Amino acid sequence: MLPMNRFFSRMILYVSLVIICIVMVFPFLWMFSSSLKTNDEIWAIPPILWPAEPLWSNFIDAWHSAPFSLYLFNSVFVATAVVVIQLINSSMMAYALSHMKFALARPLMGLIIVSYMLPVSATYLTGYVILAKLGLLDSYSGLILSNTITIFGVFLLRQAFLQIPKEVAEAAKIDGAGHWKILWKIMIPLSSSTLIVMSLLSFIGQYNNYLWPMLITKNPNLYLVSAGLRSFFVEGGAYGMKWPLIMAASTFTIVPLLVLFVVAQKWIIKGVNNAQTVNK
Amino acid sequence: MNWKKWGEPQAYLFILPALIPYLLFWLAPMAYIVYLSFTDWDFMNPVKNWVGLENYVNLLQEPAFFKALKTTFLFALGNVFPTLIGGLLLALLLNRKMKGSAIYRAIIFSPWITPTVAVSIVWAWIYEPRVGLANAILNFFGAGSLEWTQSPKTALLSVLIVTVWKGIGWTMVFYLVALQNIPESLHEAAMIEGASKTQRFWHVTLPLISPTSFFLFMITTIDAMQAYDQINVLTQGGPSGSTTTLLYLYYDAAFRQFNIGQASTVSISMVVMLGLISLVSMYISRRRIHYL
Repeated sequence: MLPMNRFFSRMILYVSLVIICIVMVFPFLWMFSSSLKTNDEIWAIPPILWPAEPLWSNFIDAWHSAPFSLYLFNSVFVATAVVVIQLINSSMMAYALSHMKFALARPLMGLIIVSYMLPVSATYLTGYVILAKLGLLDSYSGLILSNTITIFGVFLLRQAFLQIPKEVAEAAKIDGAGHWKILWKIMIPLSSSTLIVMSLLSFIGQYNNYLWPMLITKNPNLYLVSAGLRSFFVEGGAYGMKWPLIMAASTFTIVPLLVLFVVAQKWIIKGVNNAQTVNK
Repeated sequence: MNWKKWGEPQAYLFILPALIPYLLFWLAPMAYIVYLSFTDWDFMNPVKNWVGLENYVNLLQEPAFFKALKTTFLFALGNVFPTLIGGLLLALLLNRKMKGSAIYRAIIFSPWITPTVAVSIVWAWIYEPRVGLANAILNFFGAGSLEWTQSPKTALLSVLIVTVWKGIGWTMVFYLVALQNIPESLHEAAMIEGASKTQRFWHVTLPLISPTSFFLFMITTIDAMQAYDQINVLTQGGPSGSTTTLLYLYYDAAFRQFNIGQASTVSISMVVMLGLISLVSMYISRRRIHYL
């Protein structure tokens, strides 16, 4: 039998963990319950925890009040395209920085470290001007191309490639494999877990991206979910007049990511851990 | 010309696909904004006149800049310390063998992956002064109602609560790994020496996780200085400028008032500040951080 005070300290531990989890999760639950309320219920004092009759039609109404299917498509499409390009160009750069000898390697690595420490948002004004000069404003290509550099990804992959023993690459070289083949047949397969992690984190970041895509697109048909939801909140939702619909819209913006998280939880958390190696 | 010193020519091909966007959308904008900060450009006029330090002099006479600077520091402090300390406490709670610890970890982490705009809208509803959940809870405990995002006194706090809620699980995950990497033998040795639980925390655990703390300090500071989405949804910089951070001021000057002089100098002040913070903390970390 457990000694009494150990039993109590365990109880306190579990109770406090459960309370913390409720606090963390409550905004989501509250969002969901609010999305099912009638207009009377939502303005009730004190607030009602769960509506008498869940009004599922709020979801259908919200879905049709703004082109959310388009917003979701835009987010998923742009994020996927960005991730694919980032995977290719970061692996190539990471390979060059880890397994090739060239004069620019050191200065480039130094620049990348400095870039990692500086706020990317400082470049938004001039980034906008450059994008305008390239004729890429208000287009999918602009949304995609301007996000294709991931300093974090280059770091992460360089780290992964460095952990692959030099002998493996050397042996392949003796067998007549070129750099291109070594990268695709050895480095990438051996670092697949890092690549998965990087893709997931990058996808989440792009799906959620708000300020930069909003700056470079004026056309509402190019809005990503965040900008679309925000404009529904301000215009369609008339700042709180239609809270149940706004909460329903927030729910179907957030749920895809929560599902992705449940499915890929192991990888995402692992990726967050890996991020730390960037520092060393 | 000696081509050999350039190294493998193929390497340049390999870096090209990443180098082009890096140049176009990172380095060039950075250099360009430094240049713009010395001109009188207004976004429309094709002519850019060199004005020397005039924009910087104007900025230093601008009360709004100092107010935003102060708000940014308050926001950074109010975000970094609760997220780091809270994340560490949560990690200490979860760092033991027990049932369901993976579930607790996942729940606490989950806000981090959700879109800031969407969860900020949810929080805007929670903060609703008349029927919102936040005031209902305060009233339940007998405390009076707050105006939350609608009063200059509490607006920054409201934004901070959302930011900390969203980020705390992220730091927790880092600390969990750091704690698991501490060799059991060190704790055992300290125990044999007769160190108490608190002593072991201060003299074994804390020094050994200091690289993680350093890394998290840097990253959360960079993130805090760039916080935009939650401010945009919850307060839009108001009321009466109480949540206007440097980034918000920069965005406002650049894309609403087309005051490029101010926008570029504000953005450079952000870069310089983060640069200084990085340098100082790197200097401190060299001297104080214990790597295993």
